[in-house]
Amino acid sequence: MTEHASPRLTSERLIPGRGGLARRQAALLRLSTAIAAAHDEAAIYRSVVNGLHDEALGYNFIGVFVVDEATGDRVLKASVGWPDVPVDWRVPFGKGLSARALEDGKLHYTADVTRASEYLPSLNSGSEVDVPLRVDDTTIGVLVVESSEPNAFGAEDFEILTAAANQASIAIGRIRLLAAERRRADEHKALLDTMQDLVGELELSRVLQAVLERAVSLLGVTGGEVAIYDEDRRELVVVASENIGKNSTGTRLALGEGAMGAVAETLEPLIIPSYHEWLGQSGKYADVTVHAVMAAPLLIGRRLVGAIATVHSDPNRVFGPEDLRLVNLFAPQAAIAIENARLFTSERQRAEEQRALLATMTDLSSELELSKALQAVLERAVTLLGVTGGEVAIFDDVTQELEVVASEQIGKDSTGTRLKMGEGAMGVVAQTLEPLIIPSYHEWLGQSDKYADLLVHSVMAAPLLIGGRLVGAIATVHSDPDRIFGSEDLRLLNLFAPQAAIAIENARLYTVARQQREYFETLVENSPVAIVTLDREEQIVSCNPAFERLFGYTKQEAVGSNLDALITTEATRSEAKEYTREALDHPVHGIGRRSRKDGSLVDVEVLGVPVIVDGKRVGLMGLYYDITELLRARQAAEDANSAKSQFLASMSHELRTPLNAIIGYSEMVQEEVEDLGHDELGADMQRIHTAGKHLLSLINNVLDLSKIEAGKMDVYAERFEIRAMLDEVTATARPLIDTNHNELIVRATTDLGSMRTDLTKVRQILLNLLSNASKFTERGIITLEVAREAPLTEDGPQLVSFGVSDTGIGMSPEQMDRLFEAFSQAEASTTSKYGGTGLGLAITKKFCQMMGGDIQVESASGRGSTFTIRLPVEVALAPAGSISD
Amino acid sequence: MAKILLVEDNEMNRDMLSRRLIRKGYEVAMAVDGREGVDMARSGDYDIVLMDMSLPEIDGWEATRRLKQAAETKGLPIIALTAHAMAGDRDRALEAGCDDYDTKPIDLQRLLGKIEALLGQST
Repeated sequence: MTEHASPRLTSERLIPGRGGLARRQAALLRLSTAIAAAHDEAAIYRSVVNGLHDEALGYNFIGVFVVDEATGDRVLKASVGWPDVPVDWRVPFGKGLSARALEDGKLHYTADVTRASEYLPSLNSGSEVDVPLRVDDTTIGVLVVESSEPNAFGAEDFEILTAAANQASIAIGRIRLLAAERRRADEHKALLDTMQDLVGELELSRVLQAVLERAVSLLGVTGGEVAIYDEDRRELVVVASENIGKNSTGTRLALGEGAMGAVAETLEPLIIPSYHEWLGQSGKYADVTVHAVMAAPLLIGRRLVGAIATVHSDPNRVFGPEDLRLVNLFAPQAAIAIENARLFTSERQRAEEQRALLATMTDLSSELELSKALQAVLERAVTLLGVTGGEVAIFDDVTQELEVVASEQIGKDSTGTRLKMGEGAMGVVAQTLEPLIIPSYHEWLGQSDKYADLLVHSVMAAPLLIGGRLVGAIATVHSDPDRIFGSEDLRLLNLFAPQAAIAIENARLYTVARQQREYFETLVENSPVAIVTLDREEQIVSCNPAFERLFGYTKQEAVGSNLDALITTEATRSEAKEYTREALDHPVHGIGRRSRKDGSLVDVEVLGVPVIVDGKRVGLMGLYYDITELLRARQAAEDANSAKSQFLASMSHELRTPLNAIIGYSEMVQEEVEDLGHDELGADMQRIHTAGKHLLSLINNVLDLSKIEAGKMDVYAERFEIRAMLDEVTATARPLIDTNHNELIVRATTDLGSMRTDLTKVRQILLNLLSNASKFTERGIITLEVAREAPLTEDGPQLVSFGVSDTGIGMSPEQMDRLFEAFSQAEASTTSKYGGTGLGLAITKKFCQMMGGDIQVESASGRGSTFTIRLPVEVALAPAGSISD
Repeated sequence: MAKILLVEDNEMNRDMLSRRLIRKGYEVAMAVDGREGVDMARSGDYDIVLMDMSLPEIDGWEATRRLKQAAETKGLPIIALTAHAMAGDRDRALEAGCDDYDTKPIDLQRLLGKIEALLGQST
C-alpha cells in the first residue's frame, strides 16, 4: 500500500477569497477521490486541474504537462484559466520556468514573476509554483500553478500541490503498470490460443494414446497403459489404456503400487514374467487377464513425469531385453509429450491467474465496502483454484473470534458464523498462523460442528496477516472427494491472502478512524457546553448545538464568520480578542459577558485552548458555559449573607443601647443607694449590673464570631508600647481578679518595647484569658508573663509571648481537646457554675491566628492552667488595613 | 468646679451620664446634636467637652474638627465617646482633633480619670 501523506492545512491564507479550513479539506478530499476514480491518464489530468480549481482552494491558473519521451518537450494535457493554449500545446525542452522542476525533480517557487506568463500572455506578473510529477524516480511531467499576485503562495500551498502531484503520479504509475500488465497478459493469451490452434493434437491424453498404440503394435504385445505423475499427490494417474481387458483410465496408483508404481519408485524398468504370481501386484488389476508385464518410468532428465506398461495376456509370451530396448524408444516421446502438456497447462493457468489478479486489484480499489471486497477476492480465488467454494472471515480482536463475512458455494451461506480460536480449519490457522490442508474434513478431528451439515471433502485454509498480525482467515473447499489440495493450490491461495488482508486492514483503519470521529462528534454534539473551533484567522470552523442554543446563531450562520465579531459587543470585544489571541498559544480561562444574536447579553465562563495537530497549531477551540444561573445563585447567597451581617450589626446596636442604659442606671443607682445607706438595695443593683455586663459580653462575642466567620473581621495594625498596653489591661482586669480574692503577678522583661499589630484584639485576648483565670481560680495566684522570643524558624518573625497561668481547677485532657471550639465550655455544668459564653477562647484563638500567632494550653485537673499566646512583633497583613505609622 | 459640656443625642445616656457627673461635683450642660454642641462650646463657658461621635445634624468628628480649627475653641479639651469599640475609632477620633477617647458603656472611674488628666493639663 502506498502511504498518502495528507497536506497539513493551516489557516495561512495568502490567497484572497479562499475558503475556510473545513472547505479546503473537503475540496482536497474531492480531489483525491476524483484522482482515485480515474480510469485513464487523461481523466487523471482533468481531475487534478479541476480539483485544484475549486473555489475553496482558490487556484485559478493551473496546467498539467507530460514529458514527450522522444523529444523532451512538455505537452499540455489539461489546464484551467489558459484560454490561449490548447491541449497538446508544446513547450520545448529546457524552456520556461517549469523546466527547472523537470531538471532536478523538485518543487520550484517563483514568488515574483516580472515578465508575462508563458501560458497566459495577459498575465504580466505574479507568482508561479512548478511541481514535478514523478513515477518510479523518473519525472514524467509537471504541475504548474500561477497567480496574478506576487508572493501568492505559502507553505500550505506547497503541501497541497505536492500532495496533488504525488497522488496524480501514483495514479499514473498504477494505470501505466496496469496497462502494461494487461498488454502482456493479452499477448500471452493470444500466443497460447495460436499455439493451441497450431498443435490441435496437443491434448495430452490423445498424444499419449497415440504413443501407446504405436508401442503396442511395434512390440506385438496384447496391450498397455500410460500414466502421468501427479507431483502434488505423489500418485500416478492412468491417462491412456489399450486392450488390457478394461479401460483403466483414471486409475490412480500410489508409488510402489503395481508395476507402474514400482518403476515410478525405482526409476528403473521392470519385467514381470507372471503378474498374478508377482508379490507387488495391485488389486486394481486383479480382474484383468494379464500374464507378463513390462514397465518403464517416463523421465525428463532424472525427474519422473509418468510411467508406461505393456502386457502379454498370452501365457506363452514373455518379455526380453529386445522388448526393453524398444520400449525405451517410446518412453522419451511420451515423457516429452507429458512435459509439453504440463508446461502449456501451467502457462495457461498462470495467464489466467494474472488476469484474475488484475481484476481483483481493480475491485479492491473501487470497492469500499469490506464484505463486498472480500466476496470479490473470494470469488476470484474460487474460480482460479478451481475449488467448489470458500469462505473469508475477519478476526475480531476484542472477542478473539473469527467472523465469516464472505461465503461462496460451500453448501450454505455461512456469513455471520463465528469461530473461536482453534475451531474448525480457519480457527486453527488463526491460532497457528500457518496454512493448513485437510484432505478429508469429516474425518478431521478439529472439525467444527458448524460445518457438520456441509458436503465438504477437503479444505485448504490460510491465515490473513498484516505484518505478522492476524486480521482474518481464508478457506477454500472441494466437495468432490476425488479432488484434494496440493502445494500449487497453496501457492495460489497465498496470492489472494495478502489482498484480502489489506482489504480488511484498510476497512479496520477506516472504521477505527470513523468510530473515533463519531465518538468525539457525539461528545461535542451532546455537550451542554457550547463548543466552537476556529482556524488561525479566528474564523469559525465548526460549532455544536449547545453553541447554537446559547448564542442563537445556526451553524450555517456561524461557520466562516469571525467569532469575536459574532458574539462580542463594543464593550467586551477587546477583552475577547485578547482571550482569543492568548488561546492560540496556551489555554486561557475566565469569566466574561458575550452577546447573543438577538443582542441580549449572557454571562459565560470561557475556556480557550489551542488545537495542535502534528505539533502545529492549526487553530483554537472555545468552550462557553452559561453561568447566568450560577451568578444568580451567588448573588442570592451574597445578598442573604449581607442581610445576615446587616441584621447582626443592627441587632447588636439595638440591643446595646438599652443595655447601656441598664448597666449605666444600675451602676448609678447602686452608687446613690450606697451613699444613702440602703445596703440591701445596693446588692440587688449589683446583680442587675453584673447580669447586664454579662449580656453585653455575650452580644459582643456573638458579633465578633459572626464577623470572623463572615470574613468581615479585619486586622487593624497600629504600633503601641507593650508595657502601657499591659498596664491598661491589668487595670481593667483588676476588679475581675479581686472578685475571687486572687493575686495577680505580672512578670515582664524590661526589653519589651513596642509591637505593631491589632491593639484592640490583643487587649481583648488578654482580658479574656485573665477573666477566665479569675473565674476558675479562688484565692489563688494568677501570673501574667510577657517576653520577647526568638523566631520559631530562621526567617520567621520576631515574637512576643504572653503567658497567663493560674492555680485554679485546671482541665482534663478530654476537656482540653474541645477547648477552642465555639460554645464548648469544658463541661455544660461549668457554665452554670462559672458563667461565660463559651465563645471567649474560640474568639481568642481566631484572633491569634489572624495576627499570625497561635495559642497553646497546658493544664491538668486540679493543678491550674497555663495559656500561652505568641504573636509576631510586626503583624503581616495587606497594606490596606494600615493607617497608623 | 469644672464645667462639662456633654454632647449626646441619646436622651437616656445624656440623663445617666449627666446625673453621675453632677453627683461627682461637676457642673454639666448638655447639647443634643453636633451643631448645638459647637454653638454652645463657642460661648467659652466650658472647661471640657464629652463628645458622642454619632450625632445628628453634624457628627462628632466634624464638630470636633470645627472646634479645633477655631482659634477661640482650639484649646478646649475634647474626649470622644463612641459606642463602637471598633479598631480605628480611636484613631479616627484622635485624627479629628479629640484629646482623648473612651468607649461606651461608660466605666465612670476610667472616664473620670481621663477628665481629670485633661483638666490638670489645661490648668
